[in-house]
Amino acid sequence: MNREIQKILIANRGVPAVRVAHTCRDRRIPTTAVYSTPDRLAHHVFMSDTAVHIGEAPPAESYLNIDKIIDAAHKSKSNAIHPGWGFLAENHEFAQAVIDAGLIWIGPSPDVIRLMGDKIRAKMIASRANVPTIPGISDVTDAEQIREWMKDENVVFPIMIKAAAGGGGKGMVKAENNEQLASGLMQARSEAKKSFGDEAILVEKYIERGRHIEVQIIADAHGNVIHLYERECTLQRRNQKIIEEALSPTLDHDLRQEICFIATRLMREIGYTSAGTVEFIFDLPTRKFYFLEVNTRLQVEHGITELISGVDIVGLMIDVSMGKRLPFKQADIHPNRWALEVRLNAEDPRNFSPSFGTITRLEMPHGPGVRIASGVYEGANIPPYYDSLFMLLMATGADRADAIRVMDRALSRNLRVEGVKTLAPLLLSIIRHPAFIAGEVSTRFIEEHMDELISLFRVATSEDEVLKVAKYVAEISALGPQSWM
Amino acid sequence: MKKKRESSVFVKPGMSAKEIVKAVHSLKGVCLTSTGMRDAGQSDFKNRHRIYDLKTLAPYYNKMGLFSAECHGGARWHVGVMNRRECPFEEIRILRELMPDVLLQTLVRETNLWGYRPYPKNVIEYAVSRVDIDVWRCFSFLNDVRNMRAVAEVVMRRGRLFEPSISFTVADWATNDYYLSVVRDLVDLCGGTDEIILCIKDMAGIGSAKRISSLVDAIKQIYPDMVIQYHRHITDGLAMPAVLAAVQAGVKIVDVEEDSMVRFYGELPILSVQAYFEESGIPVHINRTEAEAAVQKAREWIGYYEWAESPFKGYDHTVIRHKMPGGAFPSSFEQAQKGEFLHLMPLILKMMSLYNRVVKYFDVTPGSQITWVTCSGIINRYVKEKGETGARHIIMLLTKFVEEKAQDFEAMEKDEEQEELLQLFRNAPGDFKNLLLGNYGKLPAGWPPDWVYRSAFGDEWQAKIKSRKELSPLDMLENDDLVRLRNDLSEAIGREPTEEEFILYLMHPKDALGMIEFREKYGVAPLVLPTDIWRNGLKKPGDRVDFELWGKPYTIELISLGAEHEGLIHAVMKVNNKARVYTIETPRARKAETIMARGPNDIGAPINGNIWRIGNPERGIIKAGDIVHKGEEIANMEAMKMENAVIAPFNAQIKEVCVNLNDTVQEGQILFVLERL
Repeated sequence: MNREIQKILIANRGVPAVRVAHTCRDRRIPTTAVYSTPDRLAHHVFMSDTAVHIGEAPPAESYLNIDKIIDAAHKSKSNAIHPGWGFLAENHEFAQAVIDAGLIWIGPSPDVIRLMGDKIRAKMIASRANVPTIPGISDVTDAEQIREWMKDENVVFPIMIKAAAGGGGKGMVKAENNEQLASGLMQARSEAKKSFGDEAILVEKYIERGRHIEVQIIADAHGNVIHLYERECTLQRRNQKIIEEALSPTLDHDLRQEICFIATRLMREIGYTSAGTVEFIFDLPTRKFYFLEVNTRLQVEHGITELISGVDIVGLMIDVSMGKRLPFKQADIHPNRWALEVRLNAEDPRNFSPSFGTITRLEMPHGPGVRIASGVYEGANIPPYYDSLFMLLMATGADRADAIRVMDRALSRNLRVEGVKTLAPLLLSIIRHPAFIAGEVSTRFIEEHMDELISLFRVATSEDEVLKVAKYVAEISALGPQSWM
Repeated sequence: MKKKRESSVFVKPGMSAKEIVKAVHSLKGVCLTSTGMRDAGQSDFKNRHRIYDLKTLAPYYNKMGLFSAECHGGARWHVGVMNRRECPFEEIRILRELMPDVLLQTLVRETNLWGYRPYPKNVIEYAVSRVDIDVWRCFSFLNDVRNMRAVAEVVMRRGRLFEPSISFTVADWATNDYYLSVVRDLVDLCGGTDEIILCIKDMAGIGSAKRISSLVDAIKQIYPDMVIQYHRHITDGLAMPAVLAAVQAGVKIVDVEEDSMVRFYGELPILSVQAYFEESGIPVHINRTEAEAAVQKAREWIGYYEWAESPFKGYDHTVIRHKMPGGAFPSSFEQAQKGEFLHLMPLILKMMSLYNRVVKYFDVTPGSQITWVTCSGIINRYVKEKGETGARHIIMLLTKFVEEKAQDFEAMEKDEEQEELLQLFRNAPGDFKNLLLGNYGKLPAGWPPDWVYRSAFGDEWQAKIKSRKELSPLDMLENDDLVRLRNDLSEAIGREPTEEEFILYLMHPKDALGMIEFREKYGVAPLVLPTDIWRNGLKKPGDRVDFELWGKPYTIELISLGAEHEGLIHAVMKVNNKARVYTIETPRARKAETIMARGPNDIGAPINGNIWRIGNPERGIIKAGDIVHKGEEIANMEAMKMENAVIAPFNAQIKEVCVNLNDTVQEGQILFVLERL
């Protein structure tokens, strides 16, 4: 089905919506944005050619509302939908509904999404395809079941309780001991229901201090499945990635070839098309990797792969959805630099407490080797209803040390965000930490080093300090000499 | 005029105490301590001179050939923290950089250091060993040499110069013999005279030429090698001849300030001293060119401090009776003005003249504060109860008692007069009572007569006399728990304090917290803003202030000030060309305050977010009166799609549910009040 895309509706908001809009603009493909009421003046709305209001703030009424989005596509004369990441990106019913509505779905087939969306079946498929998997148990409904499985399989705490339909850290709870088992299960189910509308749960052995490595795949409908090498996303907090890099500093050449080969083979076996990622957890002491899941969508961190490989993944997704062949072969892909990404979340860097509100000042760092993907503009509002990610900062260099230097410059010079707190101070102290520089981190690095990282928060700059002085001048100018003087 | 010299600098930081003393000793003529950076401001400008302005004098000081610059201590420390929002440590760093060749001098009040109460020994040692000062002038308002021991030991151990002072006054009991006994104790304390400089501290400015030369002469006869400094205020209008007489009797160092800063209660003008002494045949070690330049420099900014000058202006020769020290003039008169009893000042000064003949000590901090509060309190009480006639009556009664009856209590009329005297100190401040009980140390001319105790303590007077202490506070006060104090501070400011913040806190806990809070909010505003902007702000749109901050240029410009609306004013400012809007609360602003969780029974929100469940799925909604168990989830919050349980920290009854379902709350905002079971 070779069809020409006339106009793309971007079924998302914030950073992913803006990202997709950029490539569409490059291709001169008109776009339609959708927005909820609090997003009426959001950045993504004005990055598109037209925009449609699709409902109120709660995601279920807007960004998760399939009917409204498809209506919006018809209304705006869009004939294709890109889901970005998050929201409906991995919802096979949505993908199917898009296709059923006669629109082009920019993403993998609904069947593949459904198959891989069920973490339990995905794991079985991987296992059958000779991809190593972590010991686990599925269809968990009560804590006793978990205890029995642990006894039978000789598994010890900690364990990970996961929404079978999950992703993005939501519906994932770690249990350290027997006491946390029941409450963890309850929380995971509740979050699972809220985020994915499905409370099926699976439980797995937790790989302590594992490293999170994933392989980027791009595939067309003509059987070409190509990997764009791996990314390392080990630095996480509460199971959400905050720093990613490509390539992985953990792997040597042989392991890299092996993991990329296995990922490609799995994706070919399941008949994957479009962009997707195979995630692994790597256990350094045993040098073993285990299959975690397949992300059947564009990922937040795809940008660093674009930076090292020179391809436009969103552009390829559009091409593939129109039935085009991939324009290159595996042998054409040669990563020729190192790239780093940090996630600027609107959160308190000391405790990750969300910080929403108006961005009163936004100054972005530029200069050699920097790529920014922003979902906001100065004056924009970060509403409390959605994800806290509002900007991605990427840095490239000839090698890893170079890329870290560029990132250090980007974070420590000329990045200013006022009005909301951001993770920037924490991100800076992580990339300056000797363990990070040496590439010796684990998924628990942040929780284990939090106090030390906080103590490394940089002292105020003159830019910060002058604002305090200006506040004083403003107050005294308005109020006159004060009694305490 | 003096011949031009290669360099006028003859003493420098880094020299040992012995070398400094020797250098002064072998100097032909006299040398000078400039009080321009401390006591000049304290005596006539309520200590409001900002380091921003004072530092402009530093380059001249660095070449002037001063003995030292008194730039630290006294009340400057506390006023800096409280009113100028400057940190004394910061000031030292700034001055060290701008005048590296000048000895920096502080003034400490023995066990009271830079505060107003005796500190325990470990606090004194902790603070003194961490302040980078070269010359430590130390006085006791009781001339209780025992109280100086802790400071002397640390200073001398550090190899810095200790300058013990004798507090000087003119009174029948303050004889040369009395002072010599104090000097003897000081020499004993310091192990001789070759590593110290002795200061005669005439803080009221009352030593006549005859009196002071007699005292200097008496000291020199016993200690011919003693280097003596004369610190004299000018309040009585007769300072110049008195200081010359002291120098002729053997004083080597005198205190001066910029002529342009001299008002009525500080030290002598530097240029006049130089000219007058030289004419009298006494060489003055000073680079006159640099001194003139400094005098001129001070003129550029001294006008900004007119508001801080004493409402009472002009010399006051009656100081020889009431003995108010120079440093107290601006602040006492200001208090009288604020308290609307400025018109009572003549009566209060009269009361002080009589009081100091009954209770004998030196009117200098903290004694001068005790005198002021006690005497102004007595007069105010009388005026309130019996009018000004009543106040005049008590002064007549006291005059009769002191002058006619030679303080013979029994010689006063039994019923009315004695009774009235016995009421005199009934409402005296606690510090006055502490003084009588020996909590500051021994009084220089013995304890006051019994009737003073009867008056202050009523029926308990005998017991109080019995409990009166003869020991120095240094030997009585328990050491403070420094670890606990540091934790207290850390808790109060929510982070680890710096060493300097901790010392500020040790001296003045409440005001140090105020200063730290101010600086977190307003940064280095006190250091970078010119004085008119600091005090008045920018006046009209288009006005701007240029300054350097950490090596970069900045400009703050006022674009517009909005009208006040519901207690708020919006100010539009440009900071380096970028517009910013500041919302300023006026005193009329309505405070829509979010109540935060405080005690252990208040349960606060763990994050910013939305209360999507009160209670838990197992038992449903939780209401006031319900019993909850330790570890039970009592609410759940959501923010950015992540859930956070609120857990009961102990078995409890819910006393109050402070939020509604679906409320958006701040981190720390109170959600529940519990009652422990």
